[in-house]
Amino acid sequence: MHISFLIHNAYGIGGTIRTTYNLANTLAEQHDVEIVSVFRHRDDPVFSPGSRVRLSHLVDMRKESPHYEGDTPDALRPARAFPSAEGRYRQYSALTDRRIAEHLSSVSADVVVGTRPGLNVHLARETARGPLRVGQEHLTLDSHSKELRRQLRSVYPRLDVLTTTTEADARAYRRKMRLPGVHVQAVPNPVPAPGIEPADGSQKWVVAAGRLAPVKRYDLLIRAFDQVRAERPDWRLRIYGGGKQKDKLRALIDELGLYNHVFLMGPAHPIEPEWAKGSIAAVTSSLESFGMTIVEAMRCGLPVVATDCPHGPGEIIDNGVDGRLVEVGNPDAIAGGLLELINNDTLRRQMAGAALEDSERFDPARIAERYDSMFSGMLTRGSSFGGRVRGTLHRTRGALLNGAYAVRDIGHGAPTSGIQTKGSTA
Amino acid sequence: MTALATSDASSPCDAGSDQDVAAAPRADCIADSAGGLTFDVTDPGGEGAAYLLLRRRDAASADEDVRLPLSPAADGRLRAALPSSVELAEGRWNAYAEVGGTPRRLAPGVNDLRSLVDRAPSGARGYIAVRIPYATKQGNLSVRSWLRAPHAEIGELDIAGTSVTAHGRVYGTVLTGAAFAEASRRAEPERVERYEVTADGVEFSFGLRCDVLAESGPGPWDLWLRPAGESGPRIRLARLLDDVADKKQIFTYPSVRLDTAAHGPLDAGPYYTNDNDLSVRIREASAVEG
Repeated sequence: MHISFLIHNAYGIGGTIRTTYNLANTLAEQHDVEIVSVFRHRDDPVFSPGSRVRLSHLVDMRKESPHYEGDTPDALRPARAFPSAEGRYRQYSALTDRRIAEHLSSVSADVVVGTRPGLNVHLARETARGPLRVGQEHLTLDSHSKELRRQLRSVYPRLDVLTTTTEADARAYRRKMRLPGVHVQAVPNPVPAPGIEPADGSQKWVVAAGRLAPVKRYDLLIRAFDQVRAERPDWRLRIYGGGKQKDKLRALIDELGLYNHVFLMGPAHPIEPEWAKGSIAAVTSSLESFGMTIVEAMRCGLPVVATDCPHGPGEIIDNGVDGRLVEVGNPDAIAGGLLELINNDTLRRQMAGAALEDSERFDPARIAERYDSMFSGMLTRGSSFGGRVRGTLHRTRGALLNGAYAVRDIGHGAPTSGIQTKGSTA
Repeated sequence: MTALATSDASSPCDAGSDQDVAAAPRADCIADSAGGLTFDVTDPGGEGAAYLLLRRRDAASADEDVRLPLSPAADGRLRAALPSSVELAEGRWNAYAEVGGTPRRLAPGVNDLRSLVDRAPSGARGYIAVRIPYATKQGNLSVRSWLRAPHAEIGELDIAGTSVTAHGRVYGTVLTGAAFAEASRRAEPERVERYEVTADGVEFSFGLRCDVLAESGPGPWDLWLRPAGESGPRIRLARLLDDVADKKQIFTYPSVRLDTAAHGPLDAGPYYTNDNDLSVRIREASAVEG
C-alpha cells in the first residue's frame, strides 16, 4: 500500500507531528509511506522521521533558502480553499491553496491521510479519484467553533474515513455531523515504549507533565497536594512543562507554603526519564482531547490519578485496576486519589504493573495494525464497485449532500464563506 | 506539482542524508547512586582509538582533559564509564566523542538520572562528588560537576515573615558545640552576621532574619557553615544531592517586602545561585516584580 500523509508542518514540535511520525514510521515497515508537509520553516525536522519514510514539503518558508516563498504575492493573498474558521487559517494563502490542490490532484497513493480539519477539507474536495480519503481529527468536534463545524459539515461527507482519537469523539461526529457513507472510527494515538527501564515504585514523588495552561488545572493539583502534604509530608510533586500560568502557579505554591513540596520543573525533552523518577502520575485537566501524557506515564510504569474529564482519560484508564479516575474540578477528590495510592504500597505496585501491561495496546505496532486493517478493508470493499467507479459514485453522493447542507446552512442565515464559492465550482 | 515539490520528490533521500551529515553523535547517560555516570554513544565512525572526552569550559590548558575509553557495547553503540572515583574539578565540562584525535561535540540523548533523585550518600568518603549531565542552550551535552570536602547540604527551608530557618546535613566533617552559621555580604565580605546552629548528629538547622540583613541595603549575602567554630573549616551552604543541574529557577522561595527607612522598599528572601549555593537576595522592590 502507498500511504501519503498531509501535515501542516512536519519540521516543528507538537503532538500531531510526533503522533504522525510514530504512525508513519511503523506503517513504513510494511508499506510505502510519505509525509508531505505544507510548510517547511527549518532545514531539519525536530523529530526525525524513519529512514523508510519520505519527507517533502509544498511551500518553503526558510527565509535563508533560495526557494523562500513566504513573500511572493500569492503567499500574501488570503486562502479560499482552506476553511476560514480553522485555527491556522492566517498561515494559509492562495499559494497553499494552489500547491495543496496540485499535490492532491496528482497524488498516486492508495491512501491519503489529512491531519487537521483544514487539510481534511482540501483532501475531501481535491484528491484525485482513486485514493482512500482519510481525515484525522487530533482535537475534538466540541473544540471547534460553530462556524468551523458548519464549514466541515458541508465537506466532510466526501471523506471515506474520519478517525478520532476517542470513542466519545467518534460518537459526537456520528451524532452531530451526519456523515452518511463516511466510516467514522476511533483510533487512539500511538505511544512507543520508553527507551528506559520502567519506574520501580520506590520514589516518593508524584509527577505531572503538560503545558502550564488553564485547561490543565494545575491549580487544583497544587491545592490537592496541600492536603497530601498534611498527611504525607514525605511525598512531593514535580510539574514539568512551561506556559503562561507559570507565575500564577508559582504564587499559589508560595501562598500555600508548598515550596519544599511542589516544584515547577520547566519543560523536559524527552519526558520519559522524568516520569521514571516518580511513582504516581497526576492529570487534573478539565478537558483532554486524548490524554497522551496518561499513556506516556503508564508506559513508564506509573499508575495515573486522573480527572474523569472529557474525552480521553476514561477510555485509557481502567478505574481501580491500572489507575484511578476522580471527579473533575474537585481538589478533595484528587487528594483522595493520590493518598489512596501513596498510603498503599501494594495497591500502587499492582496498579503500576497493570498500567505497564494495559498501555501496550497503544504501541505504534498495534495502532498501525488497526489503521492497516481498516485501510485494507476499505480498499477491498471499494474495489467491489470497480476501482475508480467507487470514487465517482462517492464523489457524486458527496457533492449532493454538500449541496443539501449548503442550502440548509444558508437557511440558518450563516454567512457564506469562500469555501462554498469554491465548493460550487469543484 | 510544483518544481520545488518535484525536486524534493525526485530525491526522496534528501531529508535523510541531510540528517546524517548534520547529526552529531548522541549520548544516553545513566547515573548510579554512587555518583558515577555511564555514557552510551552512537558510533561516530572514523578510525583510531575512541574516547569520551570531557573538557572543562574554563580550563587553563588541555592538561585537565579527562579521556574515558569508548568500548563497543552489545547494541552497536560505544560505552564509556565515569566512575565516582575519577576526580572531576568543579565546573561545567563539555562532552565530546574523540576518534583518532578528532573531537566531535556530543548531542544529548536520554539522561536517566533517577538514581540521583533524593540522593543520600553515606558521607563515609569524606567528600561529595556530584555529576549531572545536561543539555546546554545550544543543544550540546555537558556535565556539571561539584566536588566538595567537606560539604553542607541544604534541605528544606521554612519561611515565616522575615525569618528563614534552614535545615541541612554535613558530609566529611563533624558538628561541634562551637558550630555556627554565618552570612557574609558579597560586596563587603568582612561584614558578617553570625547565627547559632542546632545540631543533631550530622544534621543541623539555624535561623536568620532578612530584615537584619536588609539594613545594609540592596545586595546579596552568601551563607556559610563553621562546623567547628572559628578554628575549623568554612563551608559554603549548597544544595547538590539530586538530579537538578540548575536549582535557581526550580527551587525558588517567597520573598518578603520590607519598608526600610534608609533604603526604601526592599524584597528579601533565600535563593540558589548559578552554582547551586544558598544565598539571601536583598533588592529594591520593583513594581514589575510586585
